[in-house]
Amino acid sequence: MTNKYYEFFCPVKVIAGKAALEHIPFELTSLAAKRPMIITDKGVRAAGLLEPVIAACEESGLDIVSIYDDVPPDSSTTVVGAIAKLYRKEKCDSIIAVGGGSAIDTGKAVNILVSEGGDDIAEYSGAGILKKALKPFFVVPTTAGTGSEVTSVAVITDEKRGVKLPYSSPFLLPNAAVIDPRMTLTLPPHITAATAMDALTHATEAFTCMAKNPLSDAYATAAVKKISQSLLKVMDKPKDEDGRLDLAQASTMAGIAFSNSMVGLVHSLGHATGAICHLPHGLCMSLYLPYVLEFNLESIREPLGDLLLHLEGPEVYSATPAARRAEASISSIRKLRDELYKRCKLPRTLKETEKVLESQLEDIATMALDDGSIMFNPREVSLDDTITILRRAWA
Amino acid sequence: MLSKRLQPIASQARRAYVELMFQVMGRALQAITEVDEAARAETSQLPVGFLFEMQVMPAGPSLVVEHIGDGRLKYLGDEAPRAVDLSIQFKHMAHAFLVMSFQEKTAVAFAHDRMLVDGDVSLAIKMTRVLNRLEAFILPKLVAERAVKEYPATLKLPNKLLNAARIYLKVATNLVETVRA
Repeated sequence: MTNKYYEFFCPVKVIAGKAALEHIPFELTSLAAKRPMIITDKGVRAAGLLEPVIAACEESGLDIVSIYDDVPPDSSTTVVGAIAKLYRKEKCDSIIAVGGGSAIDTGKAVNILVSEGGDDIAEYSGAGILKKALKPFFVVPTTAGTGSEVTSVAVITDEKRGVKLPYSSPFLLPNAAVIDPRMTLTLPPHITAATAMDALTHATEAFTCMAKNPLSDAYATAAVKKISQSLLKVMDKPKDEDGRLDLAQASTMAGIAFSNSMVGLVHSLGHATGAICHLPHGLCMSLYLPYVLEFNLESIREPLGDLLLHLEGPEVYSATPAARRAEASISSIRKLRDELYKRCKLPRTLKETEKVLESQLEDIATMALDDGSIMFNPREVSLDDTITILRRAWA
Repeated sequence: MLSKRLQPIASQARRAYVELMFQVMGRALQAITEVDEAARAETSQLPVGFLFEMQVMPAGPSLVVEHIGDGRLKYLGDEAPRAVDLSIQFKHMAHAFLVMSFQEKTAVAFAHDRMLVDGDVSLAIKMTRVLNRLEAFILPKLVAERAVKEYPATLKLPNKLLNAARIYLKVATNLVETVRA
């Protein structure tokens, strides 16, 4: 009998496509919510992305009771406490997070406080603390990469102690993720590229790491296919609504995949690089993906070879000998990175970022070794291995 | 019918086996930090007084070790004197048995959601590396390959045999002392 076992969970209603935002009022009222609060950041507001959300609600007679638009890139316990206070003062009954990873994580954390009570979000840090459903919570992503709209985790910085607090519970998952192509149409080229590479890495690691399973595989391969088909089209024609929708859906699918199968060494290295060198997460993913795939190659030859079908399509897949497909998948990802470099100078090596010093590589390697994602990497990783990978990614 | 009658006996045997393995593992964790520098390099980064627990939920067998300084761990038995800092909990006795009988690698058990980590995940990763190193030392290579993600290529036979002998000797001595006490 096989030893295989897996768990898969995603109760988030995905509302995706043309005029998706206009479904928000109906979905909120169907959960008996009448006084929503929007949580977002200054960039989203300045880009005019709140207007279609507000207009969609007001047209249906649903007023947005309060808007908090000052979420910082690294959200903190203080910010979460302040938003919860505002929520209570305005007698809100639901939350709509509009933005990228930080706004979404902040929305999740605020929802804990306003549902469970208290003023200090640090008290709820950890896994499995929450035991009951929270207030109605919707997410409208404005980037296509993090997949936070379908993950059950959040990270909030505790400024007093100088640590990042993790929160993990299925109750953090939003009731609905609203994927509307209007929300990503104005995303600048380098952010479009980096966030799409983030989603591609989520999908690729979900498909090749230890906790892969048939359901996460289906989402991962669908995400890889959409990114491969649409990313360069969108880079060349940023107002391509269909392409934008493809990338946003791919990000959500990759999010569903990796939240049910975890990720591996690319993320361990990316988390460490982000912490030490303050590089954006999506860029780190793009930097390390081919090098880690090469390191893992002999452990993931079969699934990586299968990915070629979704990266390059049936003609290239069938024309490539089975024994060469895994290498061809890596080449395909390298080719995509080269094309992105041509279009928006998205760095392909650590040196090209001009923000990493060669002297920092050992610190990155040491920190990466203790990252939780490393547990699910298909190959065991030593300090020497991580340093070797970093040296290859250097230049 | 017969299988129904045998079920309670099988459950008891499984529990007894996991209890015994926890006792051996706890003592062996103490021993490896006395004989192996690489293991000490990992554990020396834990705070002094750090309590690590492995437990079967909800109130099954457990092992508790404490970092007493310089990377040395001390086996405290199955009860912690205060709240533990890091706990790795098997969701069910059957899951603990799969890992302790080397039918499922520790990393695979994590991937299969058989275990929960309560505490700092980065410290859990360190402790898992120590457990893997311990298994690579004390188990025959063929068995160890079933227990760890990758058998360390750098671990040569003379080193393995010498350290395994020292660990087993310390475990046996500790067991005898416990029985005498």
